[in-house]
Amino acid sequence: MPQVDELPIKTASFCSPRIDRRRALSLLAAGIAGGLSACSRPDEEIVPYVTMPDRLVPGEPMKFATTLALSGYGRGALVTSVDGRPIKIEGNPKHPASLGATDIFMEAAVLSLYDPDRSRAVLHEGSIAAAEAFRRALLEQNQLMKQRQGKGLRILTGKVTSPTLLRQIDDLFARFPEASWHAYDPIDGAGASAGTLFAYGRELDLVPHLERANIVVALDSDPIGHGPDQLRNARAFANGRKQPAGGFSRWYCVESAPTLTGAKADHRLALQPAIIEEVAIAIAGALGSRARAPAMPENVQRLVRQISSDLSSASGGSIVIAGRSLSAETHALVHWINARLKAPLDLIERIDRTPSGRQGRTLAELVRDLDDGQVDQLVILGVNPAYDAPADLDFARAARNAPFRLHMGCYADETAAISNWHLPQTHPLEAWSDLRSPDGTASLVQPLIRPLYHTRTDHELLALLADGIDASPRDLVRQTWQPNAGADFEGWWTRALHDGVISGSASPPVTPHEPKIPELPRAGAPPGFSLVLQPDPAVWDGSFANNAWLQECPRPLTKQVWGNALTINPRDAEPFGVSGGDVVSIRSEHGTVEAPVVIDPAAAAGVGSLTLGYGRTRAGAIGDGIGADANRLRAVKTPWLLAAASISKTARKQDPLTTQNIVRAADYVAELYPMRKLAEAARPVGSPDPENTSSLLPAAPPRSGDEYAWAMVIDTSLCIGCNACVVACQAENNVPVVGPEEVARGRDMHWLRVDVYDHGTAHSPALGFQPVPCMHCEHAPCEPVCPVAASVHDSEGLNAQVYNRCIGTRFCEANCPYKVRRFNFRGYADGQEYANLGLESYRAQKNPEVTVRARGVMEKCTYCVQRISGARRAAEREDRRIGTDEVRTACQSACPTNAIEFGDLNQSGSKVNRSRSDPRHYALLAHLDTRPRTTYLADVRNPSSRSDGDAE
Amino acid sequence: MTAVLEPDEAATAPWISAYRASDVEITQAVTTPLFRNPGKVWWLALLLSAPFMAWFVAALGWVFYRAIGVWGVNSTIVWGVAIADYVWWIGIGNAGTLISAMLLLTRQRWRASINRFAEAMTLFAVAIAGLMPIVHLGRPIYAYWLAPYPNTMSLWPQWRSALVWDFWAIISYLLFSLLFWYVSLIPDLATMRDRTKSRTGQLLYGAFALGWCGSVRQWRAMKILHTTMAALGVPLVCSVHSIVGLDFAASLMPGWQESIFPPYFVVGAMYSGFAMVVVLALAIRWGFDLQAIITREHLDVIARVLLMSSIVMGYSYASEWFMGWYGGARSDRSLVAFEFAGTYAPLFWALLGCNVVLPQALWFPRVRGSLVALFAISVAINVGMWLERILIVWNTLSHGYMPSLWRAFHFTIWDLAFVIAPLGFFAFLFLMFVRLISAVSMFDMRELAHREDMA
Repeated sequence: MPQVDELPIKTASFCSPRIDRRRALSLLAAGIAGGLSACSRPDEEIVPYVTMPDRLVPGEPMKFATTLALSGYGRGALVTSVDGRPIKIEGNPKHPASLGATDIFMEAAVLSLYDPDRSRAVLHEGSIAAAEAFRRALLEQNQLMKQRQGKGLRILTGKVTSPTLLRQIDDLFARFPEASWHAYDPIDGAGASAGTLFAYGRELDLVPHLERANIVVALDSDPIGHGPDQLRNARAFANGRKQPAGGFSRWYCVESAPTLTGAKADHRLALQPAIIEEVAIAIAGALGSRARAPAMPENVQRLVRQISSDLSSASGGSIVIAGRSLSAETHALVHWINARLKAPLDLIERIDRTPSGRQGRTLAELVRDLDDGQVDQLVILGVNPAYDAPADLDFARAARNAPFRLHMGCYADETAAISNWHLPQTHPLEAWSDLRSPDGTASLVQPLIRPLYHTRTDHELLALLADGIDASPRDLVRQTWQPNAGADFEGWWTRALHDGVISGSASPPVTPHEPKIPELPRAGAPPGFSLVLQPDPAVWDGSFANNAWLQECPRPLTKQVWGNALTINPRDAEPFGVSGGDVVSIRSEHGTVEAPVVIDPAAAAGVGSLTLGYGRTRAGAIGDGIGADANRLRAVKTPWLLAAASISKTARKQDPLTTQNIVRAADYVAELYPMRKLAEAARPVGSPDPENTSSLLPAAPPRSGDEYAWAMVIDTSLCIGCNACVVACQAENNVPVVGPEEVARGRDMHWLRVDVYDHGTAHSPALGFQPVPCMHCEHAPCEPVCPVAASVHDSEGLNAQVYNRCIGTRFCEANCPYKVRRFNFRGYADGQEYANLGLESYRAQKNPEVTVRARGVMEKCTYCVQRISGARRAAEREDRRIGTDEVRTACQSACPTNAIEFGDLNQSGSKVNRSRSDPRHYALLAHLDTRPRTTYLADVRNPSSRSDGDAE
Repeated sequence: MTAVLEPDEAATAPWISAYRASDVEITQAVTTPLFRNPGKVWWLALLLSAPFMAWFVAALGWVFYRAIGVWGVNSTIVWGVAIADYVWWIGIGNAGTLISAMLLLTRQRWRASINRFAEAMTLFAVAIAGLMPIVHLGRPIYAYWLAPYPNTMSLWPQWRSALVWDFWAIISYLLFSLLFWYVSLIPDLATMRDRTKSRTGQLLYGAFALGWCGSVRQWRAMKILHTTMAALGVPLVCSVHSIVGLDFAASLMPGWQESIFPPYFVVGAMYSGFAMVVVLALAIRWGFDLQAIITREHLDVIARVLLMSSIVMGYSYASEWFMGWYGGARSDRSLVAFEFAGTYAPLFWALLGCNVVLPQALWFPRVRGSLVALFAISVAINVGMWLERILIVWNTLSHGYMPSLWRAFHFTIWDLAFVIAPLGFFAFLFLMFVRLISAVSMFDMRELAHREDMA
């Protein structure tokens, strides 16, 4: 690392403009000394290889299992590491919360590791301080804590599922019994746990098994949308929709804001949350509850009748899932419905409890204690409440009542700014730890690389707090698991690390008593305009705000990048007098923010929706100062629904940045995104076999038996639009981020985009997703137009782009009917990077097997040719053909629903060959006779045969 | 400034509007302005063109330094102003060769007074046009890869690409224009050598005159060469524009993949080229007092050519729309609708107004006789033709097969630079030309005067 990167982030006093000679000399001496001491000796022993480890070959990638967290829950990952640098994350097939797939947050974690904005130094009151100074300060506080038995000590964490950390919290309480632990996650669905409290008298966690459900009813919930359990739910969705004959699931979605579940549902209705609660009451009523009569309009009643009859006819295989914006009473009612339906759903003990059963208190209680002056030491571990706590708590103000405020985090963020002390935290890819997935399965977190900076894990800080010692986090984790492992601990440990999952650690389901129906509040007057908040489908709660891949990842339903916007229905736009791109001022009881408007026919009338995660002020060079901070509107009681919100137009206009259009013109949709109802799924979709269409061009070269013919088939009925493939492709292929200014000019570089088609009506949109990589046409229009033969075809059917031959005429992209080529209009990875993306540390992430493209050349999807070539090397070493379906492209292996298949057309047993004979098979723009190798399976929906038009 | 050759509106001969035009008078009329102090107008014009020229050089430098991302091109509309400029400038370059070669072969003697500067116009315009495809490249330093030169990797250009054909078309057209212009310049260079009083001038003109002494043998050789080249030039001028048309037609995109493109581009080029000739002729006629040599009759003939071309252009547009509809492909029909009502519709209507509607005024002899009207119409045609070229690029690329990536071009200040600044560069070159070389072919004029019995 160059020294310049380690300068303090705040100007220290000695940097005053006047520097006299003495000062200059002393600074010079200090600089030289600092430079000499920068390369300190590592703390652990390093010996050059006397005997090389068995599997290590320099330059050959190795994979290690670890676990990555989203909102505290672990998802198993296999991390590819080249020469000690982690460069790519894939899912761990053995892990129940990943099932071999990834989501965008897992994929992007590897970029955050190398983020130059990560916190690197201990800060005291905002300036860099010596580690020793911190140690002394902590010792002082420790004396105080000991004297008062920890009274006045408050620990604030996120949702903790790590068994080791939970054990350490218990240990801390053994030492400081009067202390208090608060746990808080900005994405927590508080209503869900309060719902179990109402229904069962205690808080439980839910593990729905959608793979066993034929009828799924999502009530303002988004089970296949982004979240800790997305991968498992999405796989369940896909498995339920693969057999055309019988067993094809049907999904209903009643929601207040557009979600992925709504887009993929067979029936979708957008309603205000208050009416969705009535829907739950109506369903319960149809199943025999004696709750009060629901109040709702006629078209909703029709849908409810359909839902109820479907639910009861598929008893045992049907489930209702309630979402964040619904009240605890409705959640409890849904528990009753599910119990009545014998829904495939497990209830487990909460996994964020310490071994002694202690559970974190709430953030609201912490703020109350702070206001009462009861807090002396506030220790904040890895969370950022100064930014993401609801506005009515005013955490930043309350926190100042604690005299000693310690914040530990990967970034010196908004909370670091209000703390006396900030400690840099170790990135999960550098750390030892353990985590549990939503079903309770535990897995280990192992470091892929020695920490890049002098950082600590939360385990180390807790050990330091409790015992005043520097513990090794690896030992702490081993101590946790020693009792579970039996006699051969080392063998157990190696196996757990290797597999990336601790077998048999899932929480056993509990069987509580029959749920009670809670006292339901009366139906209120029809509500006015309300605002629903959602976690952002790219930057989540804002903790990923400084990740450039995620900022530039087009939001699945709006294609917006680099910011958020208020989504409203066209029918609401008129009364408020706003049109798309107008900046409006959104007011709730607690605050006001300004955001641009997106008009979306999929939004529910009378409900606006806004995502969290924006408006960061101290996220870093990438995430600062973009979007609107929805937390400024939130209330701690109803964090997801603001019933009394109002919007007013401002004079400003700011068109939300998007990367592409959502296609709504019916004739284009019918051609490019054909859709079938399940009953008609056997009717062929595609044009006649492209091989037989007459053409003046010579026929494609015959496929000889010993060559490979690579092809891809994408099943649009399974694609949920989650973008995992987009970010996976970016990570694998060194695809640059171009930044908001360049996106505004239409120059995003993604090799793979997800087109969105609306095959619904003007008032009830129904969206479908179509990932579009390069088609690798057999008659590729890009090839004959290139004057220098930079776009060429190889013997295996790949349409290859020779970067160092390309001179940048761009005729290939002009002539590409699919518009899948991307041009380096600037040196996006070559000297003209956006913001700090050109800094040295990011280079460590680059995949060494893929060229980093220079300015002025065209690039595009290669079918991950480096992976094909890797498989070829392996096959040739063993003197065999590349196996059927052996090569997996980055997009394919990321996909949670296995919608993408890749393989060899010359092997009859390959999955692509099977899919190509499916009646749903079709090629995009087949009439152009480009003979694409990437083809599609048409979307299939399974609407109820009893459905009448307007309920769809 | 008094004219050597007094213009005489009442003169009977159509192509020389003077009472008498002896050899000496013609020679003096053309050369005198060259040996005189250039005068305020010229200096003012130079002063006006200089900032544009500097702007052009700066814009070129900026594009090379910051990459073509400074323009409004994007992933969907990958081509922009540079391509439109290229087609437009090469169209401007069309008229010079057409006037010289075609009219020479068809013995249209009236070409005598305008062919020289029209050829110079061609040369400069083709030079600027040739610059554009290079500037437009992502990696312009490798532009030479289009040439089949021997290299260690045995890599050759990819001959199926229209851009390679284009490369040859531009190169051959540029070389041809230069040679053709130079051959017809030799007798006049000798005249200049003999008349200039400056030693440097004598040496330079003398060197380029290649020892011309006006012998019959020399005249004969020169005429044979010139006529032969003219015979070569006519197919060349058609091929270069056809190939420019093929740049678009040899593709798969709606609105480009049309067999009408090659002839349509040739006519379009002639159209804009003749309009530019009118603009320059009016300027030279006024600036050098050549009313006697460039007569109203000349302008009238060119105006008729413009009128005819505008009708052909209108027919081409209409046949494009008709075929778009008749072909029945949704992409084509949708594109035609987009042209009339889409993002760039105002520009499209402006182009129809400039290229098809406005020139219909030329049916009226009074309009053809009015220099102001003629000038205005010619400028409008040039604007209209530039709009046509940019819209060919923008419309098709903005409205392709995938509606998900329909986008608009974001016009930047550097796009504007490439629209305007080359004009200044062109003006600069032209001003230099009229000061150094006789802007009217003296020997052709003398010949014409003899034929018209005026000498």
